[in-house]
Amino acid sequence: MTLNMKRWIVAGLSFLFLAALLVVAMQESKRHRIEEGLEPVVTKTNKGCVDCHRTDNPALVMEWEHSQHAIYGVGCVDCHEADEGDIDGWMHEGVFMSVLVTPKDCSECHVREFEEFSRSHHARAGEIIMSLDNVLAIKAASTPDNPADAINGCWQCHGTIIDFERDENGEIIRTGKENRPVIDSNTWPNSGMGRFNPDGSKGSCHACHSRHSFDVRIARSPDNCGKCHMGPDHPQIEIFNESKHGIAYRANVDRMALDKKEWILGRDYAAAPTCATCHISGHMTPQGVEVGNSHDIGERISWTLRPKVSSKLNQVTFTDGYQKDFPHTKAIPAVGDVVMTHEKVVENFKLTTKDVERTVASVKTWEERRKAMTMACRNCHNDHFIDNFYQQFDDLVNLYNDKFGQPSLDIMNELTADGVVDSGAPFSTELDWVYFELWHHEGRRARHGASMMGPDYTHWHGMYEVAHNFYNEFLPLVVEAAEEHSHAMGRKWKTKVDQLLSSPDHAWVKGLSPEEAQALAAEYKARYNQ
Amino acid sequence: MSSSNSSSRFSGMAERANELFPMDWELLRHAGAEPVPYHLKKWWFCLGGTPMVLFVVQVITGIMLTFYYVPSPDHAYASVETITHGVRFGWFIRSIHMWSSKFMIVAVFLHMLRVFFTRAYRNPRQLNWMVGVMLLGLTMTFGFTGYSLVYEQLSFWGATVGCNLASALPVIGPYVGDFLRGGPEIGAQTLTRFFMLHVAILPIVAFLLLSLHVMVIRLHGVTELQFEGEVITDDNRFFRFWPEHVTMEILVGVLLMYLLAILALIFPAGLGAQADPTTTPAHIKPEWYFYFNFRLLKLTSLKMSVALTGFLGGLLFFWPFIDGWIEKRLGNRSDRIVVLIGAVAFLAFLGLTVWEAVAAH
Amino acid sequence: MSEHDTTSRRGILASLAMGAGLVAAYGVLGLQGLAFLLPKRLRPKTRLLYAGRIDDYEIGGVKTLYDLEGTPVLVQRSEEGFTAFDSTCPHLGCKVHWEPDNNRFFCPCHNGEFRPDGVAYAGPPADAGQSLATMNVEANPDAGVVYLEVKDVKRRNA
Repeated sequence: MTLNMKRWIVAGLSFLFLAALLVVAMQESKRHRIEEGLEPVVTKTNKGCVDCHRTDNPALVMEWEHSQHAIYGVGCVDCHEADEGDIDGWMHEGVFMSVLVTPKDCSECHVREFEEFSRSHHARAGEIIMSLDNVLAIKAASTPDNPADAINGCWQCHGTIIDFERDENGEIIRTGKENRPVIDSNTWPNSGMGRFNPDGSKGSCHACHSRHSFDVRIARSPDNCGKCHMGPDHPQIEIFNESKHGIAYRANVDRMALDKKEWILGRDYAAAPTCATCHISGHMTPQGVEVGNSHDIGERISWTLRPKVSSKLNQVTFTDGYQKDFPHTKAIPAVGDVVMTHEKVVENFKLTTKDVERTVASVKTWEERRKAMTMACRNCHNDHFIDNFYQQFDDLVNLYNDKFGQPSLDIMNELTADGVVDSGAPFSTELDWVYFELWHHEGRRARHGASMMGPDYTHWHGMYEVAHNFYNEFLPLVVEAAEEHSHAMGRKWKTKVDQLLSSPDHAWVKGLSPEEAQALAAEYKARYNQ
Repeated sequence: MSSSNSSSRFSGMAERANELFPMDWELLRHAGAEPVPYHLKKWWFCLGGTPMVLFVVQVITGIMLTFYYVPSPDHAYASVETITHGVRFGWFIRSIHMWSSKFMIVAVFLHMLRVFFTRAYRNPRQLNWMVGVMLLGLTMTFGFTGYSLVYEQLSFWGATVGCNLASALPVIGPYVGDFLRGGPEIGAQTLTRFFMLHVAILPIVAFLLLSLHVMVIRLHGVTELQFEGEVITDDNRFFRFWPEHVTMEILVGVLLMYLLAILALIFPAGLGAQADPTTTPAHIKPEWYFYFNFRLLKLTSLKMSVALTGFLGGLLFFWPFIDGWIEKRLGNRSDRIVVLIGAVAFLAFLGLTVWEAVAAH
Repeated sequence: MSEHDTTSRRGILASLAMGAGLVAAYGVLGLQGLAFLLPKRLRPKTRLLYAGRIDDYEIGGVKTLYDLEGTPVLVQRSEEGFTAFDSTCPHLGCKVHWEPDNNRFFCPCHNGEFRPDGVAYAGPPADAGQSLATMNVEANPDAGVVYLEVKDVKRRNA
């Protein structure tokens, strides 16, 4: 190798080296410093609390430190401080405070969320205290002086009327050297969705946004909703788990971006929908528009699947923000109409109904609500798919309504008119219980199953049970109860039931046609060689 | 202004400069033109110069890293993280330092293989071979202390194993172990000691040994070699140190820098989990140049493998004399035997290394 | 190889190319090394702190908050909106405080007096024409809350 050759090689290598260094420089300029998580801030206001409670309740403080609140320096006093004169407040270490943090307290900052939540079905979950379900828990399952079933059961999801321990004069009992008011143990601890708070607000944000970390992951996780939406009467979490949505969620939970600050379907994540995705959270639309979240939980729901007979719901909003659903079978009031509403309110720690005249501000028809839901669906599915899904779903609900729901309701109404069923003594007869399970458990399971694509809940836990109950328990009990009332009544109802069963919908009871029977026999022979 | 005037002023300045700095430039030119034997034109004879280039790279990048590194268990890992993620070009400088250290080991090995198979260590050059073996050990110690400083899991457990291995040495073992650890346990003292070794003691020793190594070469003169079929005339028997040989070294230098930069770009130095004295990770391996020893530790008992390592090290160190003895006994046939021994030893080393590399545990 | 290489035209060209390449490459490397050693001049990182609800402030009133270093910050609400003043006196660094009765910020060290808008009107800071330094403060009327922008210092207590 000549010297010049070496020089040329050196020159060539130098420029290669230079090129590499320029790539290094490019790499360097593209590099961003890893964002370090911000540390929690304990402000002077909260320092006193944290100093003691870090020892008293270390995990509580650690959870708070993990929260976004702590990052902005929002701490203990900011939420727990009570207004002068608040019934639940007392002077604690120099701060007039309360253990109860209500939606009204949260609304000091989270205004929109409070308004949306307060008009929603969730905020009214406490109204169950006046319903049949509550009779079961308080009366049937409890004793007059120990309603523990309602306290530990129903109310933990639905909420309580928070009240205080009182002396014989009705004065609130206070304890300790700080004179802390004692909350009635029947009514708290409680994080029920529709809790009635002493400050007049309804609900508990903590029901979904568990304190003290208020971690969005919890609120977005299906398990969170599954605390209440489960079991024989409304197995939504089981149905979700059974559905393709739930399967995708569990398999892809690491791609769900559950802890992202913003959580817009079709922008921030795509792997699966959770309960929140469809019912609360934001999503993209086919037009590329971002639809934000809404804490009005029922906004995108078009059917009510709760009652004995399902109906589609038109949502009427009044000028004062109060909201009421009108079934599609009832006429929709026009904007500007004055309508009498029956609002459930707590007065003197008792739930009562207040009649209020309200003026209609706007109406959202069930079609509009369904349209809102499909905008979420459209992130993954096309119109054709969604339309056909809703057709399948509607057909199932109509089937339940027409074949079982409406006929059984008609029968119960007529039995009441006939005096066979005593409306003043609910659950006093076996028929009451059987009918209750028919619509409240089995009928709901079928409808909920279809609404969220859970085939087994639609059929085996649903329609199969409905049919089994209807033919083998409900109808025989109807005749039996009538017969018990009087022989004449028994004969009347025997005839009515026979008439019903001979209608085309129920004609199968009389047996298959010869052709059908032959085909079935042949099928079994081919499959099982029987 | 005439040109003669300015040139005389210029020469006047030169004289003045010579007065202030009485350098004999002629002598330097003469020294620089010192003849270099013909065979050094072959690239594989530059392997001894390569560690020199890399040594310079290590010193410069090492000093730069020390600007940011904090040798305390509380801050070491965080400071390496800062270097890697925070400081401008920190990842690059650190990656160069890491890759250069790996290159260094390879270069020293290759240099040694070349010297071995050309039997350039024979009388009277035994001393320089021994200095070379010491430099090899030094290079590996550099690597060992260096990756311990990062204070990631591998660092911590590597240091633990290394110190305990040193403790197993006969007689002096416990003292060496304690000296390295700065106490009976790995702790804050250990990191400071490793740091001092890595940035002060080892570089000084390395510099002295390296100077000795080169000095001895110059005193002996470089061995002249002639290969079969080569025609060496008086004309081409030597070439000049300057500019031919220096240009060659510059070429090697730029080539190395280019490779280092490319490797730093494609495989930048990573950062594992922070050292956790309570948990040994499920998969832990030292740097690849300790693989053979690591495998040896798994194959035999601790005492046995320490003894074996010592014995093999001794063999390597005193090899020139063993070679002399073989030659005396076997005469001409010794060439083949030596090549055979070398090949077997090297393959055994390679085998253990590869075994450890592919084995999961 | 011949010794004439060095002085021939081609030799000079090769030397120049080599020289240029080496200078360029090692030059860039040197600059990168320099960048490594020069400390980054980072803009101080800031973060928002909750400074209470808008209703907590009366118009014309001042609340004392603390930044993450524990330095008092005087947040004032006026008809125009919110202003946050650094409590450090521009004169010699003592802490000024708000005196509602005198409607002024007052520095106790050398009797510096400042108007509600932060401009000094008496004492040494007035002679020097100084004012209190301001900090960013954001009111969010939708949520009804106020945020104060402070320097981010990594520590737990403020």
